[in-house]
Order: sequence, then C-alpha cells, then structure tokens
Amino acid sequence: MANQLLEVKNIDVWYGDVQVLREVSLQVEEGTIVALVGANGAGKTTLLKTISGLLQPRKGEILFTGKPLHNLKPQDIVDRGIIHVPEGRRLFASLTVLENLKLGAYIKRARTNFDQSLKRAYDLFPVLEERKNQKAGTLSGGEQQMLAIGRAIMAQPKLIMLDEPSLGLSPILVKTIFEFIRTLNEQKATILLIEQNINQTLKIAHQAFVLKIGKIVMSGRGDELLANEEIRKAYIGERVRKQ
Amino acid sequence: MPGLSFVPQVIVNGILFGSMYGTAAIGLSLIFGTMRIVFIAQGAVIVLFAYFSFWLFDKLGIDPYLSLIPIILVSLLIGAAFYYGLFKEAAALKDRIGSLLIAVGLMFFLENFMTVVWTPNPRAVVTSYGFYAFNIFGIHLTLTRLIGLLLAVLATVGVSTFLRKTLMGTAVRATSEDVEASTLMGINPDRVNAVTFAIGIGLAAIAGTTMATTYSFDPVYGFEFAIKALVALTLGGIGRVYGALLGGILLGLIELLGTFFVGAGWSQAIVFGVFLLTLIFRPYGLFGGPSEKV
Amino acid sequence: MKDKIDTYLKKDKRNISIIIIALVIIVFGALPFYSDVDSFFAYYLFLCLLYIILAQGWNLVAGYTGQISLGTHAFFALGAYTTAIIWLNDVTKTWYYFDPLVMIISGFVPAIFAILIGIPLLSRLRGDYFSFGTLAAAEVLRILILRGGTFTQGAMGLRLPAEGFTGMGIYYWTALLLAILATAAVYFITRSRIGLALRALSEDETSAASHGVHILRYKVLAFAIGSFFMGICGSLFAYYLFIVSPPAVMNLNWMFLPILICVLGGNGTIFGPIIGAFVVGALFSYGDVFVGQVHPMLSGILIILVMKFMPTGIMGLKDRIFARR
Repeated sequence: MANQLLEVKNIDVWYGDVQVLREVSLQVEEGTIVALVGANGAGKTTLLKTISGLLQPRKGEILFTGKPLHNLKPQDIVDRGIIHVPEGRRLFASLTVLENLKLGAYIKRARTNFDQSLKRAYDLFPVLEERKNQKAGTLSGGEQQMLAIGRAIMAQPKLIMLDEPSLGLSPILVKTIFEFIRTLNEQKATILLIEQNINQTLKIAHQAFVLKIGKIVMSGRGDELLANEEIRKAYIGERVRKQ
Repeated sequence: MPGLSFVPQVIVNGILFGSMYGTAAIGLSLIFGTMRIVFIAQGAVIVLFAYFSFWLFDKLGIDPYLSLIPIILVSLLIGAAFYYGLFKEAAALKDRIGSLLIAVGLMFFLENFMTVVWTPNPRAVVTSYGFYAFNIFGIHLTLTRLIGLLLAVLATVGVSTFLRKTLMGTAVRATSEDVEASTLMGINPDRVNAVTFAIGIGLAAIAGTTMATTYSFDPVYGFEFAIKALVALTLGGIGRVYGALLGGILLGLIELLGTFFVGAGWSQAIVFGVFLLTLIFRPYGLFGGPSEKV
Repeated sequence: MKDKIDTYLKKDKRNISIIIIALVIIVFGALPFYSDVDSFFAYYLFLCLLYIILAQGWNLVAGYTGQISLGTHAFFALGAYTTAIIWLNDVTKTWYYFDPLVMIISGFVPAIFAILIGIPLLSRLRGDYFSFGTLAAAEVLRILILRGGTFTQGAMGLRLPAEGFTGMGIYYWTALLLAILATAAVYFITRSRIGLALRALSEDETSAASHGVHILRYKVLAFAIGSFFMGICGSLFAYYLFIVSPPAVMNLNWMFLPILICVLGGNGTIFGPIIGAFVVGALFSYGDVFVGQVHPMLSGILIILVMKFMPTGIMGLKDRIFARR
C-alpha cells in the first residue's frame, strides 16, 4: 500500500441509542480523490462528522498521517490538516465573502500564509474576489459553493472532505464544481467526497467505498465500481429511473 | 405641568442616563447573541463593580476613573471565569433554561453577598469634582455624567471595532451565527465564548463606574437595571452594538421624559409598554431588518 | 407470543402505576385526619402543593412550546388580585371565601392576559423574546398594581376579611386537588397527538414555522391553560394570606422557584416537578428557619450547583442510574 493519509479502522458510531456506523473501515491515499457513495441514511455524513470530530466513535480508531485523531476536538482536527465542508455549505451568511475566507484561515498555521492562500482561492474562483465585500448570504447557490471550497483551501489542508458539493445546483454548475474538484486534486489536494451524483463521482474518483446501512459493502477503483453491474443497478439505475 | 423650558435639560439627562443602559445592553447582547444566555445577573454584576469603585475610593482614596483601569482588567478575568466556571456546559448544550437559572443563582448570590458585605444602604462615590458642572445654553451638565457618556461611546466604538476589524471579533460573529460551522474552521468555541463573556463583563465594569460616580445604588438595584438593559437591547435589536447603545439612550429618554410629564411610576409603565409594542411590531428592533447579526 | 407477554407486562406496569398514584393521593388526601394540619410540617406540604401547581403550569408552557416563561409571578398575582378585588367590591354577590366561582374567574383573568401577550410573543419570529416579553409584561402589571389607587391600594395591598377562617384543612385539600388537576392537565395535553407533534416541533423551529398559524394557536392555548392554574393558585394563596400586596404575591420567588423545581425534578417530565417541589420546598422553608439571613446567598449557590452538576434533574439522575445497569 502506498502512503495512507487517513485510515479509519473498524469504527462504531451511535446517535444516542441508534447505531449508525458498524465496523466501518476506510483508507484515503495521499493525493487521490476518494468517493463515499450510498443511499440516503447510509451513514455517509455521519462518517465525515466522525472524522472531523463532531461525533465520537464508540469503538475503533481513526489515524491521520499515522497519528490517532478520534480523541481530538474538531478545532484541533482542523489544525492537523483536515477540513470538512459540511452539507448545505454552512457559510456565515451575515459575514462578507472576505471575512468567510479569513475565518477559513483561522488556525495559526494558515494565518502565516494568508496572502498566498487568498491568492490561490481567488485564482481558482475569480468571482470571489469580485464579491469579496458582499455578504455571503447574498451569493447565488453556485457562488456559495465556490466560497465554501475557497474557504476550505484557506486552511491549507492536507485532506478536504466535501459533503454533497453539488446539492441544489443546476447541471451546468454541477459540472463546473466537479472540474474544480479535479483541479484541486491536480494541485496536490487529497479529497474525500460524498456525492449523490454517483456517475460523475465515480468517473473522477481514484478509489470509492460503498456504504449501506452503516456498513462498507464494497470498495474499489472508481472505474471498476462504475463498471460493476450491481452498483449500476442499485445506485445509478435507480437514479436514472427517477429522473 | 412644570415649565416646558426644562424639556431640553430632561432630554440631555435622558441621553446621559440612557448611555449607561446602553453599555449594559451591549454586554447582554453579545452574551445572548453568541451563547443564547439571558444573563439576568448583568445588573447585579454592574452593582458589584460600582461597589468595587466605591470601596477603593472610600477605603484607599483611589479616584474612580483611575480605579476603572484595574477594575476593567479584573472584570475581564471575572468574565472569563464566569464562562469557564459556570456557563460552559450550558452554553455547549444550548440549554437556555439551565443558563438562565445559573444566571439567576448568580444574581441571588451577588445581591445577598453585597447586602452582607456592604449593607442594604444606598451608596455613592462623591468626589471633589462630582458637583463640577457646565452651563451650556441654560442646560446643566455635570462633569461625571459627561464622562459617563464619553465612556459609553468609547466602549461602543471599541467593541464594534473589535468585532469588525479583528480576526477574533470575526470569529465571535461567526460563532453567534453557527457554532458547529465555526468549529469546523478550527475556531475553539470555548475560547470565543470566554472572550465574549469577558467583554460583556468588562462593559459591566464601565457601567458600574458610571453608576458609582453619577447616581446612588444599593445591592438589589441590579435586577431592575438588568431588566432595563434587556429593554434597551430589544429596542436596539439583538446583536447590534450601536443599536444597543441607541436603544439604551432611547430608553433613558422615554424614562426621564415620562417621569417629567406623567410622574415616576407611570413612566415605568410607558417604558414597558414601548418595549411590548416593539416586541409585537418590530421584533428585530427599531433600527433595521432581521438579516444582520452582531 | 413475546408480543403478547410484552403487552401484558405493559398493562401490568400501567396498573401498578395507577395503584401507586391512587395510594399516594389517598395518603395525602387523608392527611388532615391523622396529622395536625396546623403544624409547620403541614404548612410545608401546603407550600409544596402550591409550588407543584405553579411548576406544572410552567412545565406545560416549557414542555409544550419550548419557551421559558418569566411571568409566573404575574399570573399568580393576577389571580390573587382578581380574587381580592371581586371580594372587596362585592362583584359576584356570592360568599367569596373559597367560592368556586371567584376562584375560576381568578383563573380566567390570567388566562386571558396570557392569550393577549401570548399571541405576539409565541409566534416564531419573536421566539427569542418570549422570556423578555413575559418578564416585561409582569413588570407592567406590577406598575399597574402599584399605581392602581384605591382599586389595588398600591404598595400597601388589599386586606381581606379573615372571619371565615376555620382551619388549614380546606386549604390543604384545595391545593391537593389543584395539584392533581394541574398534573393531569400536563399529562393529558402532552400525551395528546397535538402535544406530541408540538414537542417534536419545538426541537425543530424551522419545520414548526412551515406549519404556520394553527401551531401558534395550540402554543397559546398551552400558555393560557398554564396561566389558568397559576391564577387559581394565586387565588388560593390570597385566601391563605388575607393580604394581597405586591411584596407578597409579586415576589420574584414565585417566578424562579417553579422553574428551579421543574429543572431540579427533571425538565420535561410529568412527575419531576412533584419531586422537585418537595425538595425545593424543604430546602427553602426549612432553610428560612435554620439558616436565616444568609439563606438567599445559599439558595443562589444551590441553584448554580444543581444546574452545573445535575442538569437533567432528579428524574434524569434516575435514568442515568438505570441506564448504567
């Protein structure tokens, strides 16, 4: 195995009396895009929340660059180099675009390279520079997603976790967002991605894990899974029928 | 009906008095905005600082404006200690009932503590320059009240600048909007809350010094004062720094003009009547829409 | 098969709780026959029952709407003043002392007051302000009472004719009856379909908003019912004290203690307020006797300690102990 950036080992996660994740294990190799797919309620968001420290596993461990992570607070996990872009983006709507970006670089390590990171974010998303003094709440959906990703890279993370970045966006914007994700990855960012849009996700993912009712049921290279009959039937086919 | 020629004087007094409410209201607003704590003990804390000021003046002869500096430093520590010692768990759970009760317990404790230590008798800090006054266009302005207004304005500008221009201030605003998202930025919510609490209590120290130098106070005056500060906060709109100061001044005006025209008791009814009307018709305060926070 | 056993067990459990509740009520109801109701202990029980009524009234609002009312003392005082004013002005031409009609009117007046302030304050927009608003409404009432001239006698208060007094028995029974009724009201309202829906919604304000106006109607109704009990409780207290004055009935303790009782007993539970009332009643009435002047300072510390170390209350403590097994 090559250089593992993140290793989740046999974690159990509970919400009160309900077990959401069972013995989940997952590896993210440095420099790759890893996708986490599965139906609604399978526990994808829970897994991300557990990695970012918003939830604690009852059992198992999470290693990041070989060091345990699961006993740290969310803010310390950010400091270690994992940034979580949560579902629904969760921008600070009453703050300006620039203020949101500044908070992205809140941790000490990121503050010292603030100007450099800001330039990188503006280069990737020029629209953010145009609107830097506008309140984040007044941006369009696509612009908000760009800000969310821009805010994430301000922290100079080793790993970016994206929870449904294409949610609520028009098909053209979805395509753009996927391009941005690929660009980010080409700039050496490791990405852990949750998506409903399984077809496109598996196309860009180097590695993918399928989560079903709290368990990892399958994993493999993105293109392998994309070719897998079962996956096509269970996830992609279903979506096609619905549309 | 007393002569209308006094009205300008009453207006000036209302502004000067109301600025003290405003200072307290900014503190309440910050604490409520970030932690959802109705810090009803704010008034008792202000009175406590007024006693500190009184005590340092009475026992050691230290000028109240000089003692304000160490009192503010101490108050910031007390504020952080209140957060870590009393409110941390309740704030994390967003438990409004719990935090309210802790604030009530603190108020009970402080009121009775002050009664035991300093007796229930009203006190005031009477300095040699306490009666020094100017006459401008027939309006009588005492020096201490003017200093009080100046302190309130400085405090407001200071807090507002802190919130707008510093990274910590931006983090305070972000946390008041979405705690979870702010922790995902690497912001330590405890640190932000402790800083906010410290500022809130620091503002109480300023209000306390003004109270000590310009008016008289007793151990149980704090509750009434805290309610007035809540009114000022509502008039100004939760989470608005300048709004809280303006709300306080407006409240001072309503109160003193009401006292002048209809008498002290009914003026209180007018104050709360205006408050209820504001709640009903302008729930986000008199000065703007719902979108802005802190 | 297993299901059947479960249902039997459930039924059994239910029967047992009904029997226990009935026994407790009988023991308490018969108390005047075997114990001296004019003793300090009986005074303590009477006080606890009053606390239960107020605490359940508050519990209903908090549990049902998720809002913290800071106006309990106002509804309590309004009930007391209604009784006194009807009596002294000879309004209903009935016998006044423990007159059911007067007591019920004394419940309705605060209920109407609650509806008037509840409609604006309970709408979602103003959610944050409900606490402030109830507190302010109480202050307005205090001023109206203080400035009420001969109608309320200001700070002096109204004195009621005490000739009718025959003993504590009737006070005790009335308080017991009201405490049972208030507890039953909380029980049935929170367990009704609408009650359950509202409880779920109170945790999720956004979806509550989308349900619009009729949610507001039920919230206001809960607030009014709670205030109704608080008003009757005030009426009973007026009969007990024979003096209705701001320091006696608008005392802030009447607001804070019910909240403390609910939280100490276990917030959002039916029986929590009952346990809480006995504990708080004991601490405060006996604290008065044994500790004297410092006791408000101690009660302040007590409130803080309870909230810090037992935020889920006594009922929550029990759950935690059982969960560990």
